[in-house]
Amino acid sequence: MSSATTTRSTQVTVELRVNGRSYPVRLDSTTTLLDALRDQLHLTGTKKGCDQGACGACTVLRDGKRIVSCLTLAAQCDGSEITTIEGIAEDGHPHPVQDAFVRHDALQCGYCTSGQVMSAVALLREGRAGSDDDIREFMSGNLCRCAAYPNIVAAIREVADS
Amino acid sequence: MTATLAKENVIGRPLDRIDGRRKVAGAAPYPSDFDLPGQVHAALISSTVAAGRITRIDRSRAEAAPGVLTVLTFDNAPTLVDPPQNALGSTMRRPLKDDRILHYGQHIGIVVATTRAQALDAAKLVEIEYAEEEPVLDMDDPRAAVEDNPFGMASSRGDVPGALAASDVTVDETYTIGAEANSPMGLFTTVASWQGDRVVVHDTTQSPSFLRTALAVMFQVPEQNVRVLIPFLGGGFGAGLRLWSHTVLTTLAARVLDRPVKLVLSRPQMFHSVGHRAASRQRIQLGADREGRLTAIDHDAIAANGLGDNLPSPIVAVTPTTYACDNVATHERRAHLNIPYTGFMRAPGAVEAHFALESALDELADRVGVDPVELRLRNYAEVHPESGKPWSSKALRECLEVGAERFGWSGHDPTPRSAHDGDQLIGLGMASATFEFYALPCTVRLVVDRRGNAVVRSAATDIGTGTYTITAQLTAELLGIDVDRVRVEIGDTDQPPAPQSGGSGLAGALAAAVQNAAGELAEQLARLDGRPGESFASLLDRHNLDELAVTGYSDLSGAAEHSDVAPAGAFAAAFAEVGVDEDLGLVRLRRLVSVIDGGRVFNAKTARSQAIGGAVMGIGMALLEEMAYDPNTGRVANGTFGDYLVPVNGDVPDLDITFVGEPDTFNPTGGKGLGEIGIVSIAPAIANAVHHATGRRIRDLPITLDKML
Repeated sequence: MSSATTTRSTQVTVELRVNGRSYPVRLDSTTTLLDALRDQLHLTGTKKGCDQGACGACTVLRDGKRIVSCLTLAAQCDGSEITTIEGIAEDGHPHPVQDAFVRHDALQCGYCTSGQVMSAVALLREGRAGSDDDIREFMSGNLCRCAAYPNIVAAIREVADS
Repeated sequence: MTATLAKENVIGRPLDRIDGRRKVAGAAPYPSDFDLPGQVHAALISSTVAAGRITRIDRSRAEAAPGVLTVLTFDNAPTLVDPPQNALGSTMRRPLKDDRILHYGQHIGIVVATTRAQALDAAKLVEIEYAEEEPVLDMDDPRAAVEDNPFGMASSRGDVPGALAASDVTVDETYTIGAEANSPMGLFTTVASWQGDRVVVHDTTQSPSFLRTALAVMFQVPEQNVRVLIPFLGGGFGAGLRLWSHTVLTTLAARVLDRPVKLVLSRPQMFHSVGHRAASRQRIQLGADREGRLTAIDHDAIAANGLGDNLPSPIVAVTPTTYACDNVATHERRAHLNIPYTGFMRAPGAVEAHFALESALDELADRVGVDPVELRLRNYAEVHPESGKPWSSKALRECLEVGAERFGWSGHDPTPRSAHDGDQLIGLGMASATFEFYALPCTVRLVVDRRGNAVVRSAATDIGTGTYTITAQLTAELLGIDVDRVRVEIGDTDQPPAPQSGGSGLAGALAAAVQNAAGELAEQLARLDGRPGESFASLLDRHNLDELAVTGYSDLSGAAEHSDVAPAGAFAAAFAEVGVDEDLGLVRLRRLVSVIDGGRVFNAKTARSQAIGGAVMGIGMALLEEMAYDPNTGRVANGTFGDYLVPVNGDVPDLDITFVGEPDTFNPTGGKGLGEIGIVSIAPAIANAVHHATGRRIRDLPITLDKML
């Protein structure tokens, strides 16, 4: 019998703190944060584009820092504060980055948009929106095949300058 | 209400897209976001060889694995009926048809289990043995079956050999383009759920109406029993225009199990499961006089297709109508190879043809010493070169002139290697383009109510182009109401049938159908003795009617034959500046001006986004993208986003996008489609700029650094 991993899976209990709420979840130890968010917490705003850490569609914040949730095990996040696209509106008002994305048409099909927005929110906090070239560079981990890139830069620029 | 678009109060305005708020909130549901009660998960079994036959399948270990509900392969699955041909002329080989393997990654079975992890694990436990054959992977392999003139696009006018022989100047060059993967961000997904003989399918398709027909045929149920839902797609760029086997297999598994089944393709599977732009080779022969006036064009194209596949994606179709030239001949061939099926990818055929033609024109400009913009104006097709009819609209001249002006084209030194910036060689290049739109019959249902609201319903889908938004704008304009009073319900085949979102035709077809519906509504309201200037809400209220529903229809494809103008496609010109680091062989795009005549622009903001998207995909085509096949196994060797490079934010400089032209006189609403024209002139403009920078003519895309060293 070769390596059928399901026969030797290890279930673990993790307390995921997501968008200020606490979710005790029981899951296979190999479950990624992305799959836990989507499949167990039903927070489907975070998208899977490659599952290989190469596209940024699954970007979320862990303790304020942007990470690709497809390369992060849920079990590693026990006790961490996770923020997803569903958690950045404040008092029912969209985050300024969300507003700016709509105004600048910084999206087309919208599939990568959650990751772009989360990456942009973190980039602004990181103080990396100094120039348009900086924004381009530090947003280059988030692919957009519709190529809303110039509008993404404009949206982030507007928030950075306000 | 007037049911005309004379005033342009709402139409054309750069409104924010109406689905934007949902998208930035992560609240727009894509197919992979749907989970149904009782749902189970599927994984595909894919061929690990590119050619041969399956000699043995042993499902027993997989069937015994935890959570597994079924394993379907060709030898135990129910037999389906062959699918019909779609409106674009493509069919699909029925999955699990027999034991034949035609390409690496071919879906040869499907495993369903309680969880996704269980299904993926069990798929690896299915034992398959093959009688392997040596795959045919190269167009020049003498074993390759080469089909001549597969789409009837071979053509000839005048005397090309005679004109070439008599020409003062000739160009005779060959251009090649590597295979490209559409690579939309959204992983293609199917969630299928049967209730008796009725099925609901969430599927990543750009053609919901056709998918409904195809599934009805294959599963032998009435069309109205099939409901396809696709409110948000997650990108397609043509990948969603064909029927793909994973959709059929998932629907089949759901039928067998009588439970909802969900399948999400992996990124590597996307590279061999949903089509790609075929690799191609083109030979262009140009004849011209000393002033650069074209006397002959001979265009020969060969591209790769899957074995036994008939995808109609001609390359040479645009050539006879692009320039004024008395002698034009085109030839087309397809080599059938053991490669994954090709598909439609943004401006299929046209973008390949323009790379070759517009590169060759640049070479001609060089030889006769005529400025490339001037050369194109000297060969300008003032009327349709074949029918002699006036164009329904054509502002290519303005594209060229406005583009040259905005770019600062005139006065630059055309000598290669004449401009530097530090250690970079700087080059300027340009190209022009045309792209016809393919508008097929479209039906909409328009419902207005006494509160002053309107609903538009159609089975069309918005692939990110802005269909929701422009439909609302059109309806608001035609009915004389605010945009936020219009609800657009699309992406559902329970609504009236619509054409695919592809071929730059949906906006025009849908707009014409909405206009037709608005006209019908105006007639019905007129019968209700409306007072001058009275709103439909007031009129309905006076007659104590809750709502009024009408149907609108358009068929622009049929109308074209009887028109006294030649329906024009969109036109464009692109001007590019590149910097080349010769030590590293690195080419960077520094700036790009793109000017487009797309007829009436329905929304200036979303239209600009289409132009940007096309331009950036053109940058990828020019500089980055090529699928690589392992020459021994036929495996896609770079099928991940770490290996197949698409443009990232840092690859894209400021883009200068301008729209010119007038509303088209053929399409009732004046639009010409914008989804594809934006890519068509980009790669040749960049390649021509590389030549100006370095003196080296790269005739093989993408222009990667190995070709520059």
